Amino acid sequence: MKRADLQSNLAMTVTLIMGAMLFTTLFMGYAIYRSASTYWPPMGFAKVALGLPTFSTFLILVSSLFCYLARVATQVRKVEKARLYLHLTLILGLAFMLTQGFLWSHLKATGVYVSSGIFASILYGFTWIHAAHVILGLGTLLYLEIVLKNTSDSTIRKVINVEKFWHFLGIIWLIMYFTIFVL
Amino acid sequence: MSGGYNEIHPEPTTFISKYLISFDHKVIAKQFLWYGIFFLGLGGLMALLIRWTLAYPGVPFPVLGNLLFPDSAGIVPPDSYAMLFTMHGTIMIFYAITPILIGAFGNYCIPLMIGARDMAFPMLNMLSFWFAFLSGVVLITSLFLPLGAASGAWTSYPTLSTMIGSPGAGQTFWCVAIFLFGISSTMGAVNYVTTVITLRAPGMGYFDMPLTIWGLWLTAILNAIFVPVLGAGVILLTLDRVLGTTFFLAGASATSGSGDPVLFQHVFWIFGHPEVYILILPAWGIVSDLLSFFSRKPAFGAKSTALAMTAVTVLSTLVYGHHMFTTQMSPLLTQSFMTLTMTISIPSAIFFANWLGTIWKGSIRFDSPMLFSLGVVFVFGLGGLTGLHLGTVTTDLYLHDTYFVVGHFHYTMAASVLLGGFAGIYFWFPKMFGKMMNEKLAKLHFWGTMIPLNGVFFGMLMIGYGGMHRRIYNPFVYDSLKRLIPINEFVTISAILMGLFQIVFVINFLWSLKKGPKAPNNPWEVGTLEWTIPSPPVHHNYDEIPVVKCGPHELGNPNLKTGRDFQYQTEELVQG
Repeated sequence: MKRADLQSNLAMTVTLIMGAMLFTTLFMGYAIYRSASTYWPPMGFAKVALGLPTFSTFLILVSSLFCYLARVATQVRKVEKARLYLHLTLILGLAFMLTQGFLWSHLKATGVYVSSGIFASILYGFTWIHAAHVILGLGTLLYLEIVLKNTSDSTIRKVINVEKFWHFLGIIWLIMYFTIFVL
Repeated sequence: MSGGYNEIHPEPTTFISKYLISFDHKVIAKQFLWYGIFFLGLGGLMALLIRWTLAYPGVPFPVLGNLLFPDSAGIVPPDSYAMLFTMHGTIMIFYAITPILIGAFGNYCIPLMIGARDMAFPMLNMLSFWFAFLSGVVLITSLFLPLGAASGAWTSYPTLSTMIGSPGAGQTFWCVAIFLFGISSTMGAVNYVTTVITLRAPGMGYFDMPLTIWGLWLTAILNAIFVPVLGAGVILLTLDRVLGTTFFLAGASATSGSGDPVLFQHVFWIFGHPEVYILILPAWGIVSDLLSFFSRKPAFGAKSTALAMTAVTVLSTLVYGHHMFTTQMSPLLTQSFMTLTMTISIPSAIFFANWLGTIWKGSIRFDSPMLFSLGVVFVFGLGGLTGLHLGTVTTDLYLHDTYFVVGHFHYTMAASVLLGGFAGIYFWFPKMFGKMMNEKLAKLHFWGTMIPLNGVFFGMLMIGYGGMHRRIYNPFVYDSLKRLIPINEFVTISAILMGLFQIVFVINFLWSLKKGPKAPNNPWEVGTLEWTIPSPPVHHNYDEIPVVKCGPHELGNPNLKTGRDFQYQTEELVQG
């Protein structure tokens, strides 16, 4: 492996470990809240309807797929195709954020406010923190929109790193979907 | 994967690209050094204000008192006292020790000592400093807020740190500052880990790296893994404070579900215990190298020192519970944490014995870096031994939250790291700035620091054992603590003395910078890579990437016929 590739891979691995530690801490906290509580959801709250979160999950997973295809197209040096998949990833990413917005207004409409206790804190807080990272991810996708004009080694490295980060966000959302909304 | 591609960046020409937005690891190291020394002074001044209040409660602070506290006629008021010890801890840990030991020495030593031209990611390195700078600005701004800076101690336990305990914006600023600093630290960590793995000079295996690099590298790994944990904690705390969530607020659990204040303690110490090793590992590494260099002997068991430091790094992630023995933790859990904590003694004793083995029968040169290194050996020994009392549940229940704890962590984190930092500054100053420091003043600075330092911290151990609590404003309203007034005065006088002797250092530093005699390439006669090039090094460090042929501690080899008692790492090991 070339030194630049190795450096890029190592740095991205360390970065993803950092992200994973941040979300692991949140999930550890959640596990403690859940196990310490007699009722979940606590009295006065109902489970969130699964429709919207499921749709979000679908969007982010498909966008991950497109991101994967964009990377593969870059590696086989098909810029036009790669750019098309990149556009699709970006659009689905934005759509994901839109559904998150709907989720928050839906929660508010059903009387679950930010300050309504730990159940609401987790619903809002965790999705906010994830959304903040998605915005960061969208930023890196926008950056790719600018630099993905050729298929040089350095462009390929950038696409690979953004792809890894985008998959990471998808995986975190999937874990959130199952632990917070489904379970 | 070492050797090969390692490009020369063009030298910057404008003032801004040369000194401000510099990508050069040597300039960034100096930026971190100035930054750290500034905050060291600020944190030190706060320490003096705290000490003054404890020895002479109700007496105005001399000279600066009226300027700082005009409303109370120069006396430190109780709310400001809480703010002072909070900011003293925060500043010393995150804004003084971290920038000097990790920011300055990490940036300066890693590329030079492994034979690289720069860090793997120079731009990330530059951003790392400016995030730290921004964080410092936020923290200093918080001192001028209407209700003052954070006052919930550097640990920021809820409910002290929630809106109930700290209504002002100070605590929120604290969270933001710490988060920004975390970004800076993790950026540095990405860089250090990658650089050490990929940019070592050809021929340099991991055990050919100086132990300084081992310490810094292990620190970077811990930083990358555990700083994000604190990041998560302060995000949740900020959400609680600003947006009204209830993660750390206790409430009626059956109805609305309850937040959990103790959860923050877990999160904090999962980060916090590795953090103390993040701070001490670079100092251990520096001392391990310097003891060998100035004893003119190979480091005794260098490989086992490196492995012992690695073992401490791993164990440090498993012991955080010993900070929380008094939180009604299950005895089963406290026993486990106690056992794991005691296990750390084993690798610590290994490298400590190696230090003694290194100086044993060496032809020791008592230059200032060596004096400071020997100082570290002494104070770290004391700090480590007092840790045993606190790691043991039975004694900790009595000593918890007393000044004994303060004495212990100052011996380990403050004294060891400070002396280690000074050792590093005296040692690398000639390489950094191309000038020699004044040796007489350096020795005066050493004794003027070392003796009062033990007065301060040993005194703290004693008043702690005598039962004085850590964070009370005026201990002498309690009759039982009145007998501790004389020792408290002794500690304060020692602290003032120690503070005054730091002026010697500042004068020496600034004077040498301007007027010091020009430093030769290798003033200390050691063989690591940075001493093979001019002082200060050129912009791209090495015209040709060096090829490493032996370890970093090849001193006093009886087979050497070159007229020197050491050999450079670029020379083939001389054998009989």
